[in-house]
Amino acid sequence: MDGGAAQAPVVSARNLTKTYQLGEVAVHALRDVSFDIHRGEFVAIMGPSGSGKSTLMNLIGALDTPTTGALAINGADIATLDKDQLADLRNRTLGFVFQQFNLLARTSALDNVKLPLAYSRDPARQARGSELAAQRLTEVGLADRMDHVPSQLSGGQQQRVAIARALVNSPSLILADEPTGALDTQTSGEIMALFERLTESGMTVILVTHEPDVAAHARRLLRVRDGRIVEDRAVAGRPV
Amino acid sequence: MSVIEYIKTALVALRLNKLRSMLTTLGIIIGVASVIVMSGIGSGASKQIEDQISSLGTNQLTIFPGSANVGGRRGGFGSAPPLTEKDLRAVRDGVAGVMAASGELGNNNASVVLGNANWTTQVQGVGAEIELVREWPIARGRYFDAREAASGAKFGVLGATVARELFAGADPLGTTIRINNSPFQVIGVLSEKGQAGGRDQDDVILVPISTARSRLVGRLGAPDQIGSLLVKVDPRYNLAEVQADIERVLRDRRRIGPDKDNNFIIRNFAEFLETRNQASKTLGLLLAATAAISLVVGGIGIMNIMLVSVTERTREIGLRMAIGARGSDILGQFLTEAVLLCLVGGLIGLGLGAGVAAGLAGIFGWPVYISPVVVLVAIAASATVGIVFGYVPARRASALNPIEALRYE
Repeated sequence: MDGGAAQAPVVSARNLTKTYQLGEVAVHALRDVSFDIHRGEFVAIMGPSGSGKSTLMNLIGALDTPTTGALAINGADIATLDKDQLADLRNRTLGFVFQQFNLLARTSALDNVKLPLAYSRDPARQARGSELAAQRLTEVGLADRMDHVPSQLSGGQQQRVAIARALVNSPSLILADEPTGALDTQTSGEIMALFERLTESGMTVILVTHEPDVAAHARRLLRVRDGRIVEDRAVAGRPV
Repeated sequence: MSVIEYIKTALVALRLNKLRSMLTTLGIIIGVASVIVMSGIGSGASKQIEDQISSLGTNQLTIFPGSANVGGRRGGFGSAPPLTEKDLRAVRDGVAGVMAASGELGNNNASVVLGNANWTTQVQGVGAEIELVREWPIARGRYFDAREAASGAKFGVLGATVARELFAGADPLGTTIRINNSPFQVIGVLSEKGQAGGRDQDDVILVPISTARSRLVGRLGAPDQIGSLLVKVDPRYNLAEVQADIERVLRDRRRIGPDKDNNFIIRNFAEFLETRNQASKTLGLLLAATAAISLVVGGIGIMNIMLVSVTERTREIGLRMAIGARGSDILGQFLTEAVLLCLVGGLIGLGLGAGVAAGLAGIFGWPVYISPVVVLVAIAASATVGIVFGYVPARRASALNPIEALRYE
């Protein structure tokens, strides 16, 4: 954290709360959560189900807004943004990686990776869509699989396509929600190695998982329980 | 997202479910096709009738003697005193707006002989102004002039059909033919006019009306009788007003008291046209109603499938939102899909309808006319159906919560 002091944090949460109203009952999913995440960090968020980690993920992903408190992503307070502005923020600043890959069926790897560019408000990037997508696919080691559709790819390859898709708009932050949940151990290791490589070249990655083995690849661990951060530490044996 | 992107995305989505897309748009296809076929046949028929009516002559009035009313007993058609050359002159010279007038006195069953060829046709005695009145140019030779028309000259002008039947390609001009055993010299051949009301207008021989009176028609009601009076009205004049003036002149000449009915009939082809237009308007409304019903039914099918599609693709919608699609992008995408589905259906229906119409035209010899207006309306209507019935599903898609959509199983 000290290393990034010169730069504004990629994610800055201050006294975040999120309360859902389920009929008569108010569910406090997050209670007074504050933290900063800086550029190049590789953070794992862990916690049992119902702990509030998914809520936190949705907030960081600009898919939802906090009940109270401030959450700045790349300096923009998401509480002040309307739906369209949130969509644009997600498009420009965030890259999502999901457990189930969420690739479009019967659509080539290249076209899947290009998809976020279709929603870009930057015509110059749109025009270079195929070039940017091909570049990202090469980075994740799928230069020879660009024309393959998801059903012709293994799980690990599909997840790499999804990572290339997350990277295509040069985001500030990658959000990975159980990215290895549907993969075998060996493939999981490959995917985690890819994330490590990305953070080494300056990308910020936030990972939600409940597997300690997976979390061990990260360099910082945020443990969430009952809507609070109960632990925020460097992962043992790894420099923060 | 640009419109081109929307269309590309929609085409991919529609292709993924080819059979379903096809079945979904079947309602639109059938609706548009049936409208195209029906309107093709309907407007073909009315166009044919309009052409026929205008070939009979527009701005033309035909006056017949009507039924006589003697002591309360009404005689049949034509039982009233005949029209005469004096009536004709009174109308032509006494009514403003009459450009030309001709009597017409016919024999519908005259036998014509040339050498060993013979033909039975209609022989009509007409005045010299008939060319103007009926707008019927001569193809070869000439018409008889006013003096010849009045002097009983034995001249004949042949209709195209008669010329073909009797002369089979030889030059008829100057030849003598026998009509009901009287020799007539052929001085002209008329241009072709075609069918009207199921009758071949070219199957006719025109002769001077005076000759018809003395040679071809039996007993006459008056020495200068004309069977009917054809009047050409100057198009700068109001047809109805001229008609009223003629009526007044004739009532006066025939001494019809102010409280008595006319004993003559004035027929106006414009009225025919009017009636015809009224009929085709009714037909048009009926077609529009049929089209509207089938398009609504088709549209409901589209809406149904689009709702299913939105549900099936909830995760895809969630993903698109997560990677930066705005609500309006999702709305546009699904709306484009619905409109495209309808447009493709409309175009297929158009093709199918045109094909069936052409087939009917070929098999039954019906005149078929597909107006460009109908084509444009059909396309616009299909697109509108897409927008109207695609809106609800598209709206639902765009209003999805991305978090829930991503979690949707």
